[in-house]
Amino acid sequence: MNRRITRRDFLEAFAAMGLALPLFDVKHPRGLDFSHVNSPTPQKYLIETMGGGVALFDYNNDGLLDIFLVNSGKLANPMHAPETFDRQNPQNWNRLYRQNPDGSFTDVTKEAGLANAGDGNYGMGVAVGDYDNDGYPDLYITNYGKNTLYHNNGDGTFTDVTAKAGVAAGGWSCSAGFFDYDNDGHLDLFVTRYMLWDTQHSKICGNEWQTYCPPGTFPATTSILYRNRGDGTFEDVSEHSRIAASKGRALGVAFADYDDDGFTDIFVSNDGMRQFLFHNNGDGTFTERGLEAGAALTADGKPLSGMGTVFQDYDNDGRPDILVTVLPREVYALFHNEGDGTFSYRSLQSGLGLLSAASSGWGVGLEDFNNDGWKDLFVAQSHVLDNVEQIDHMLHYKEPPLLALNHEGRFERADSGIAAPLAGRGAAFGDINNDGWIDAVLTSLGGEPLFLLNHASGPAHWLSITLRGTRSNRDGLGARVQVNGQTRFATTAGSYISASDKRLHFGLGAAETAKVDIRWPSGTHQVLENVKANQFLEIREEQKS
Amino acid sequence: MMGAALSIALALQQASPSPALQHLHAGVEANQSGQLDQALAEFQKASELDPKLAAAFVDLGAVFIEKRDYAAAIPPLKRALELSPDIEGGHRLLGFALLAQGYASEAIPHLAKAHEDDTVGIALLEAGKLPEAFAALQKSLAKNPNDPDLLYYYGRAAGLLSKQVFDDLEARFPDSARAHQMMAEDYAALRELPSAEREFNEALKLRPQTAGLHLDLGELYARAQQWDKAEEQFRLEAELQPGSAFAAYRLGESLLQLGKFHEARKALAHSNELKPDMPETLYQLGKAESLDNDNAAAQKSWAHLLSLESDTPLAAQAHFGLAGIYRKQGKATEAEHEMEQFRKLQSKPAQPDDSQK
Repeated sequence: MNRRITRRDFLEAFAAMGLALPLFDVKHPRGLDFSHVNSPTPQKYLIETMGGGVALFDYNNDGLLDIFLVNSGKLANPMHAPETFDRQNPQNWNRLYRQNPDGSFTDVTKEAGLANAGDGNYGMGVAVGDYDNDGYPDLYITNYGKNTLYHNNGDGTFTDVTAKAGVAAGGWSCSAGFFDYDNDGHLDLFVTRYMLWDTQHSKICGNEWQTYCPPGTFPATTSILYRNRGDGTFEDVSEHSRIAASKGRALGVAFADYDDDGFTDIFVSNDGMRQFLFHNNGDGTFTERGLEAGAALTADGKPLSGMGTVFQDYDNDGRPDILVTVLPREVYALFHNEGDGTFSYRSLQSGLGLLSAASSGWGVGLEDFNNDGWKDLFVAQSHVLDNVEQIDHMLHYKEPPLLALNHEGRFERADSGIAAPLAGRGAAFGDINNDGWIDAVLTSLGGEPLFLLNHASGPAHWLSITLRGTRSNRDGLGARVQVNGQTRFATTAGSYISASDKRLHFGLGAAETAKVDIRWPSGTHQVLENVKANQFLEIREEQKS
Repeated sequence: MMGAALSIALALQQASPSPALQHLHAGVEANQSGQLDQALAEFQKASELDPKLAAAFVDLGAVFIEKRDYAAAIPPLKRALELSPDIEGGHRLLGFALLAQGYASEAIPHLAKAHEDDTVGIALLEAGKLPEAFAALQKSLAKNPNDPDLLYYYGRAAGLLSKQVFDDLEARFPDSARAHQMMAEDYAALRELPSAEREFNEALKLRPQTAGLHLDLGELYARAQQWDKAEEQFRLEAELQPGSAFAAYRLGESLLQLGKFHEARKALAHSNELKPDMPETLYQLGKAESLDNDNAAAQKSWAHLLSLESDTPLAAQAHFGLAGIYRKQGKATEAEHEMEQFRKLQSKPAQPDDSQK
């Protein structure tokens, strides 16, 4: 009897022969027909070059990851007040694509009630979190303009609850993320804002070649922290929490408890200045400790063009480290958590000097793409200036993304399978086809997203964990989960203006079982022994008094 | 008022002032009191009354020059020198006027007769006589080293001469190693990486032992952030020129970038031996030592740097590095002291840090 030879068989045969193959297949799944609209103008409005985000989440709880893509909008040349971006035009809508069991997608934007993003809003990014603990993930969309909170009604539709919730913000928001800073079981919301800028006070920079202005041209501004009151409304606690005491040019945000005190801390990547590490004091306030902790500047004391960021443990020492993507002639910054409340700059030790010095990074993930038990690095890349090649022939506007495999703490370039350069911006990660290997979706400024299916093969095992909080927030965001010596902090945030799958994926290498150790945000400590590999496991938080 | 002084002297030689001399005298007085139009009229009258009175023509030219009417100054000055070819002031003024009108070649002999070395150099430059201009300006600059105009013209002459020589090299020896090197340097300045790389490699193929070629190619790769290729070239240069502190320094820097800290440290230490007390080398050496887990050596290198300079960006970086070491050692007070020094020196960051405004 002839057994049908699958692509996986073919790849495994290659792997058995020791031949390295590209890790990802660039797919064009049926139904995924999004194209980002940024409308670049000769005015070189900064917002043109900063969007748009992507979220991987299961909005209808059918076990399949769906995709939400943020569109930006139409810009006039020049813009006049009042600013409008033609967001009612379907071409400029944000889009929700539901995944079907056959791997195709269906555009459900209109029926889900997500069609109108608000004519005064130029789209940037997206955050995902179940802020009302009803079991359905909600969406928070960041804009230049007002932000929007969509409540997931659980029936395939969403309702704009921004006004009721009180989370519109205003100004220019970029990355945002849900987390529970006060461990009260309700997800709070952190919103980064880039700078004080508007189209009426824009500038064009450059001499021979006119281009976008550097961030220092415009005043810094504050990010926003909203505390979830637990009744569907939020309170702006930016002042009280002392988040507003530090003005930045924030583009990225990621969460983890870096000093193991049981409270989630915040890392904010700032563009063209020092980075912020907001230590959670546990009393509703934060102290910005970036400089003292050694996570604000390079080893030479120089500022960074911080864009995307991720706050996870790359070297399996149990402590979350920080990675920041930046512009070329800098190096992606890797701040290693020393375990004493401080960080050391380890970009050069980790191989990032060679990998990233000529590149510009945006969306970023530390994910174990080859299931060997070490988190690998994936970065969406592209310069911020669309005419950089005319200004500096040594740089490139469009770049292929970076895939670097982690060899016990040192990153080495690997073949991602994506040869064509693109203007990469957002990046979200998750196991889209539920085959046990982490996939990715990248957004391309003014273009179509890249849908990347991981076809790595080999004997490596894996475990995917869904947390079900009972005393903690329902999705367990902020929990520290340790599996066979690896550590992940549960989050959907990080990267750049994007949100990733809430499930925690662990590559197990040759191990067929795992020990799972969870410290929930509530403080509950839970250990599971001899957990079988290669399964999607939901773990419910133990009910303890 | 060179013309006026001259005319007074000449006038004093006359026993009884003629009407022409009386007008000349009146012109000098008018000129001295700043009445240029009146002076012009008086000198004009004097020259009409006595067409052989050279001083009247010189003074007439001088007033035109004062009025910045160089075209009008030239005919009377030429007439004056026809009448009296040895009037040095006349040559000086005519040289200025001709140069101002763009007749550089014509101006040169007049300026030379007036011993106007600075202006001769400028006229030679404008006339395209580059080697002569370079020599004349160099001589002038030796006398007046702080004259910004002279510095400008000297630099311009050097640049143009260099271009002329390189053009000549390219025209006469297009396939020589030096012609390829020159082309490579031009492409490198334009950041045309592939073309510069091609020309450097052509030059190296023809003459592999040329000092500086590997260094320049390494610099090209370093600017393009291709540190692995840069390291290879810096290493070749360091082997070719074992006494070059700079080659060893750049090799060390590229090794640092590649994460090869122990090797970097060796290269930088060698550079420091070859040319001690270079703050840049000491900073990078401290960094390599720190990354090579030898904090004691790093502290020593950075302390040495700080003994050489205390208020530079490198000094700030050394304080920042020391703060990191003290932090690791649990010496909070020392770390905070170094951070304080670092903050103080951060007066001109690349991007303003307005986080606390």
